[in-house]
Amino acid sequence: MSAISELSSLSRRKGKVTAAEKKANSRDNKAAYIFLLPWLVGLVAITIGPMLMSLYLSFTDYNLLQPPEWTGLDNFIRMLSDARLHNSLRVTFTYVFVGVPLQLAVALLIALVLDKGLRGLPFYRSVFYLPSLLGGSVAVAILWKQIFGTTGLVNQVLAMFGIQGPGWISDPSTALGSIILLHVWTFGAPMIIFLAGLRQIPNMYYEAARVDGATTLQQFWRITLPMLSPIIFFNLVLQIIGSFQSFTQAFIVSGGNGGPSDSTMFFTLYLYQKGFGQFDMGYASAMAWVLLLIIGVFTAINFIASKYWVFYDD
Amino acid sequence: MPLFPRPASAAKQPAGRPSPGPSRRTRKAGAVAAAVAAVMALSACGGGASPQNADGTVELRFSWWGGDKRAQLTQEAIKQFEAENPKIKIKPEFGDWSGYWDKLATQVAANDAPDVIQMDEKYITEYSSRGALLDLSKYDIDTSKLDEAALNAGKGEKGLTGIPAGINAATILANPAVFQAAGVPLPDDSKWTWEDFGRIAAEITAKSPKGTYGAAAYGTDEASLGVWLRQNGKSLYTSDGKLGFEPGDIAEWWAFLKKLSQDKAVPSASEVVEAEAAPLDQSGLATGKNGMAFWWSNQAPALEKASGGDLKILRFPTKTGSAADAGLWYKASQFWSASSRTKHPQETAKFINFLTNNVKAGEALLADRGVYPNSEVRTAIQPKLTPADVKVVSFIDQIKDELGEAPAPPPKGAGAIQEIIKRYTSEVLFERLSPEDAGKKATDEMKSAIAS
Repeated sequence: MSAISELSSLSRRKGKVTAAEKKANSRDNKAAYIFLLPWLVGLVAITIGPMLMSLYLSFTDYNLLQPPEWTGLDNFIRMLSDARLHNSLRVTFTYVFVGVPLQLAVALLIALVLDKGLRGLPFYRSVFYLPSLLGGSVAVAILWKQIFGTTGLVNQVLAMFGIQGPGWISDPSTALGSIILLHVWTFGAPMIIFLAGLRQIPNMYYEAARVDGATTLQQFWRITLPMLSPIIFFNLVLQIIGSFQSFTQAFIVSGGNGGPSDSTMFFTLYLYQKGFGQFDMGYASAMAWVLLLIIGVFTAINFIASKYWVFYDD
Repeated sequence: MPLFPRPASAAKQPAGRPSPGPSRRTRKAGAVAAAVAAVMALSACGGGASPQNADGTVELRFSWWGGDKRAQLTQEAIKQFEAENPKIKIKPEFGDWSGYWDKLATQVAANDAPDVIQMDEKYITEYSSRGALLDLSKYDIDTSKLDEAALNAGKGEKGLTGIPAGINAATILANPAVFQAAGVPLPDDSKWTWEDFGRIAAEITAKSPKGTYGAAAYGTDEASLGVWLRQNGKSLYTSDGKLGFEPGDIAEWWAFLKKLSQDKAVPSASEVVEAEAAPLDQSGLATGKNGMAFWWSNQAPALEKASGGDLKILRFPTKTGSAADAGLWYKASQFWSASSRTKHPQETAKFINFLTNNVKAGEALLADRGVYPNSEVRTAIQPKLTPADVKVVSFIDQIKDELGEAPAPPPKGAGAIQEIIKRYTSEVLFERLSPEDAGKKATDEMKSAIAS
């Protein structure tokens, strides 16, 4: 244990602190703070400072070029009648509530297959994990654009079967779907976590179930899923938060404008456009806080709901 | 046969392990991860160093948008300037149009603006009225040889905040190779109408291989809308900074585009959206997929280089069939502006003066940013011009007597107009909105964009 805690327990026992002890105490504290400093500076300068600044800006009219002007709740009131913002919420919610369950389902499925103990498992695991590393990158988003373009790979394959595919990413009715697909494709990270979780389920449960004549499906529903539920919950929380903040794919695939016709205009993308394209940083800051609120609410719902379906056996 | 046989390592686990399932630790980790991830939504990064002078040399940052060709030419001009002024170093920063403005806004906000800024008429009022640009009339820059109309475009309430870098005009560029392959003759641009344009484009599409279209679609920026409105006696903006047209005017413009699309004179809606994102050298005109396309005159040489063939510069079609009604105008293609917070205003002005008035700069830059607004430099560099540049210069001369009145400068907030036009153009092309509804909605949005 550290010298600090020893000292403090010592002084508590005595109920009285001598001057020398006090001095040593403060010296130790100082050392602790010095060790903490790099982290503390980072936290204050890179996270808390900008956060407080953005909170302040959310109550102002700030055009980037001139000092911000206090406007109270004006930005938040404007949001109520901003049809493009409402559309961006619709797009983002669709992305989260379609993309996340789909991605987790695919991740679980692949994890189950890999968990069967294939020969060369580390290789397959790496291969399936690869998209996770690449999926958020600009290069892959550009590649996606090529593959799903009007004359891209997908349509060339379809053409072999005599089907004329649409411009997947340039048609408002399929553009969001293409980006959701990109998200699903990056199932590697949750898959690795699922795989680790599956390994933790003791074999004896399955053995006992088999002795009792449970089918494989029953084993999945009665053993795997409940035992895996904390992992599912963990992945769900992370993926929902991450997806609400998703930006890069839509930015690159739509060329930065959330098009066609705002069909891929994510909340974050609209925030970016407002702040950096339309000189409305006050509004953009207010949007950031609304997003934090939304994420907070959904995470809270997640945690509350978890009491009813997540099973901890300790 | 068990569905999930344990891998060897897992099967060897001691049978009586105390807590086999994922523990509470996982739950806690979830909470921590949630907090961290949420906090990251709010924090942004900032900072950056400002160049300081060491041993008496001054470093100026110079930013512009444009392609490879422009970068080469501009670097050459910088080299010439540095040779004449060994104490001043110019650090170039350049990129594509689309990212340029986001970056500039961020830099200005962070008090880290480049010293010399290539500026566009859509944004100059935005920046100058908010005090971000230097009044260049207070510095030693000779403007006596500049074309007067172009010079006036850079003047505003805060003085002379932009010196024109070139003159250009809205044009239609035609790729004769595509016409020839389709067996369609090039139009006579001195008397063609919009109906001719549609008919010729549709004919090319019909006689060309699949994927090649007679014309690129308009509706991706305000230039072609501006021409259309002027031909109908309206304008994009009024001199007091309002919209110069009614919803019905822009609806007509979209209705005609819709007709072009239905006649297959222009690419499909999806292809139009994809083309928007393509840089100049990969545009339909450069790759031989379009017979005609809407471009500024100064872009012709770069496009010609990218297409590897010959391009022809055409006047816009008219309603009446008379080139005098084309409603074209000389536009300041770009401006040279300076940041109002530059630490070296004298040196910055010196560099802008060099770009504007020095023949060596002209010989390097040629006509890439439009026809040189300085009449002396224009004459002096004549022999150096490439055939493509000569075409541009003679086109600008040709239309001299057909020009309409100079348009009112774009008001504050005009930078948002292009995006609005683009968005509603795709709404119309995908038939999600009728031209009338798109006209109403777009006009409302534009009004509120320039009202603030």
